[in-house]
Amino acid sequence: MSEKPVRAIKLNVINEPKDSYTGGKSSLCPGCGHDQISSVIVNSAWENGLEPHRIAKMSGIGCSSKTPAYYLGQSHGFNTVHGRMPSVTTGANVVNKDLTYLGVSGDGDSASIGIGQLIHAIRRNVNMVYIIENNGVYGLTKGQYSATADVGSKKKKGATNETQPIDLCAMAINLGCSFVARSFSGSKKQLTAIIKAAMSHKGFALIDVISPCVTFNNNDESLRSYGYVKDNQAELHSVGYIPHFSPLEQVEVPAGSFRDITLHDGSTMRLETISEDHDISDAVAALGALHQADADKKHVMGLLYFDGEKPALEDELELHDTPITEMGEELLRPSQAKLDDVIAALRG
Amino acid sequence: MDRVVNDFTINIATANGTGSQSANLILLQTLFDMGIPVSGKNLFPSNISGLPTWYIVRLSDLGYQAPGDRTHIQVLVNPATWDEDLASLEPGTVVIWNTDSKMEMNREDIISYPVPMTKIARGLNPKLARMIANVVYVGVIAELIGMDQKVLEEAISKQFGGKAKAIELNSEAARLGRSYCAENFTKTDPYTVEARERKEGGFFVEGNEAVALGSIFGGVQMLSWYPITPSSSLAEGIIAWLPELRTHEGKATYAVIQAEDELAAAGMVIGAGWAGARGITATSGPGISLMQEFIGLAYFAEVPSVFWDVNRVGPSTGLPTRTQQGDLAMLYEGSHGDTQHIVFIPGTVEECFEFGWRVFDASERYQTPVFGFSDLDLGMNRWASHGFEYPDKPMDRGKVVLTKEQLDSIENYGRYRDVDGDGIPYRTLPGSGLDPILYRGTGHDEDGAYSEKPDVYYKLMQRLKRKIDGARDKLPAPVMREEEEQDIGIVFYGSMENTIEEIDDILETATGKKVSTCRVRALPLHSEVQAFIERHNTVIILEINRDAQMNGIMRKEYPNHLLHKMHSVAYSDGMPPRARLYAERIMDVLKEVGQ
Repeated sequence: MSEKPVRAIKLNVINEPKDSYTGGKSSLCPGCGHDQISSVIVNSAWENGLEPHRIAKMSGIGCSSKTPAYYLGQSHGFNTVHGRMPSVTTGANVVNKDLTYLGVSGDGDSASIGIGQLIHAIRRNVNMVYIIENNGVYGLTKGQYSATADVGSKKKKGATNETQPIDLCAMAINLGCSFVARSFSGSKKQLTAIIKAAMSHKGFALIDVISPCVTFNNNDESLRSYGYVKDNQAELHSVGYIPHFSPLEQVEVPAGSFRDITLHDGSTMRLETISEDHDISDAVAALGALHQADADKKHVMGLLYFDGEKPALEDELELHDTPITEMGEELLRPSQAKLDDVIAALRG
Repeated sequence: MDRVVNDFTINIATANGTGSQSANLILLQTLFDMGIPVSGKNLFPSNISGLPTWYIVRLSDLGYQAPGDRTHIQVLVNPATWDEDLASLEPGTVVIWNTDSKMEMNREDIISYPVPMTKIARGLNPKLARMIANVVYVGVIAELIGMDQKVLEEAISKQFGGKAKAIELNSEAARLGRSYCAENFTKTDPYTVEARERKEGGFFVEGNEAVALGSIFGGVQMLSWYPITPSSSLAEGIIAWLPELRTHEGKATYAVIQAEDELAAAGMVIGAGWAGARGITATSGPGISLMQEFIGLAYFAEVPSVFWDVNRVGPSTGLPTRTQQGDLAMLYEGSHGDTQHIVFIPGTVEECFEFGWRVFDASERYQTPVFGFSDLDLGMNRWASHGFEYPDKPMDRGKVVLTKEQLDSIENYGRYRDVDGDGIPYRTLPGSGLDPILYRGTGHDEDGAYSEKPDVYYKLMQRLKRKIDGARDKLPAPVMREEEEQDIGIVFYGSMENTIEEIDDILETATGKKVSTCRVRALPLHSEVQAFIERHNTVIILEINRDAQMNGIMRKEYPNHLLHKMHSVAYSDGMPPRARLYAERIMDVLKEVGQ
């Protein structure tokens, strides 16, 4: 009898197995798009060679916001309150700028109750990845329309939605968001490249991921059902990601025209143009592509807009290189002599 | 006529945005620098320019700091409130009035000093006449009551921070006011000042600035705030002092963010606390209302976070520029569900500084939101001080596990497990790689995992109760002034400190009874407060609100045998407390209960 060959466990660049990036068992509905996104997050972090304990996973409230329990079990996380994850992340980010902040939210969390905080986090260019798992419904409260539901979309039960949706990508571009992308939970390859690039970007990276709700919003009339999105997505370009530590292995040089974009940590995002030349530094073109897709009842996918030069919040604050959380009393509490100076100044 | 020395109240009625605040502060500073015990109260509108403002200066050799019962010297500059102000004066009141206001002086039972303030100012500088006119009345008052010209000019110099032109102009305006008074009036009123021996090193400071400085000496690491009266100057005080006090190698050792609203401000404070830093926000009642959900999260997930509430008059927008102790109950039991929070209640500017750093220690020690509770009166008025004491112990960062060895040495570690029996668990920080958990506002077991189990929830809530209760006697003890009789006791808190002595004197004069006092300085209540009540026959709980909020907290927590001797005097009209008003209410209650 021959012994079963021991399969070598595949390790990433920092010698971690993928298991170091997985989390608990999902309690979402079987087939939920969110679970696919969770697995892409696990892959992206592993492939990028991020140290699991140097990631902070942040979320609000809702189906999507439960998912941090299902990935990155070795990372600290904070499942905060509904729609308020951006502010909590902002506070954490400025005191410890050396962590990778990975926020996951939903369309209710981001487009309704939390739209104000989302807008201001974009405006400040908080250095974080912000993934919206967008299904157009409130799942956890059993299927009410969200603010991203398309006009005319129809749930299994109930009336047709007549209210204008909010396009979070268009909104983000208008706000000057430094990284705006749209993808689909079923497009694993594209989504992986985008999330990996977002993790390498310094600034606010918004990724709107259409993630069909298998329970409340997967009927054929819905513009966010699996079938509809699969048949009606227009890719702006295929996205490749080349990490800074292994520029040649990961991505084959594609045929045709492509552009390389260097990211903050030295990684490269490679965009292969599918149809026409989409200039990702052109906000007008990005908005045009979104509006055209809207008119065609299609979803446009890929990196829509990118600005690698915009200073992040942590840069604007002119913080000391040492993260504030790592400073001791000698830096945090001024001396008795300083207090004497203060009192002297008050005496005038 | 008998002279009245250093014991009268000056009321100055102007419109805001006219520069009168500078003039009033010069008056206050001069009297202070002459060694006269003096206090100033700014009654200002929620407005930038043109609405009525009153500034009350109380001189009192006895050291009384509350606004007095009546006005002795009225300055009338503002036509808008002229008639009402004039009508409210008692016969014999001195009225210094601007004849250029084109208003009538229809009282003959007052002592009238008409001064063409605007004309005098215009002669000096036509463009700035409106502003300089204010310093003209300061000059008139100075001459009338006998203020020292040299000290006055020093105060002007202090006010304008070395700006030579402004100092010269304003000094000249004061001199012109003085000489107009000397040349045109014969003094027929009794009010006069005498310099007293001055204790060296005194200065004026607002409670908000004192808290700001205390926070910085407490090692504040992140400030997030949303502007709101009357707390803005607290945040702005921190911002103003940080660069000088907390720059290292040319870079900031702190982060400041002006948030988009109070919800976000609270969220950022909690984010910073979660990451292991000392985060703070400053707000007022409306802001605390908005922060409620986050406060519950910080309590339940056990995240250190500091919130200062500079109380203004509620409910709703209320009287945004008036003072009250109306938020106490909201702070103590903030957010939905069963909660209980630590509240520090300073009564003086020195305590504003001290509690400014202590709140951080308490918040990290108990891993919970901690409130500083001030009010507009304490926060925005200038109070005399002789200095702040440097923190007498190192920063207490609480039970934070920083190394693997530390973690391994804790038997049966769990983020929410009460290992030490004091209700306070240990915590690890994001980025450390030690015991990574997902913090959550949902029910959780001792390891931080989601749970809806009845016994898990019950035990968690009992532990939280035990944790906060355990803080009682570690928080600032009450300050007691106890009489031998131990008959009547008054329990009070916060800015009422500045009125209590006068109340006490009025009570003693009127009833012949000596009254003990006990100033509560923190919630949950220190055991000494209960002991004070035990020792006295009749106890009045005195506060500046309608609903007797402190009384309510005590009645909920104290044993039945104490309740019959506890009586409430709660009153609020937006004004800083006037001693007689509260003293009379106390006497009514004492009479009712047969005291």
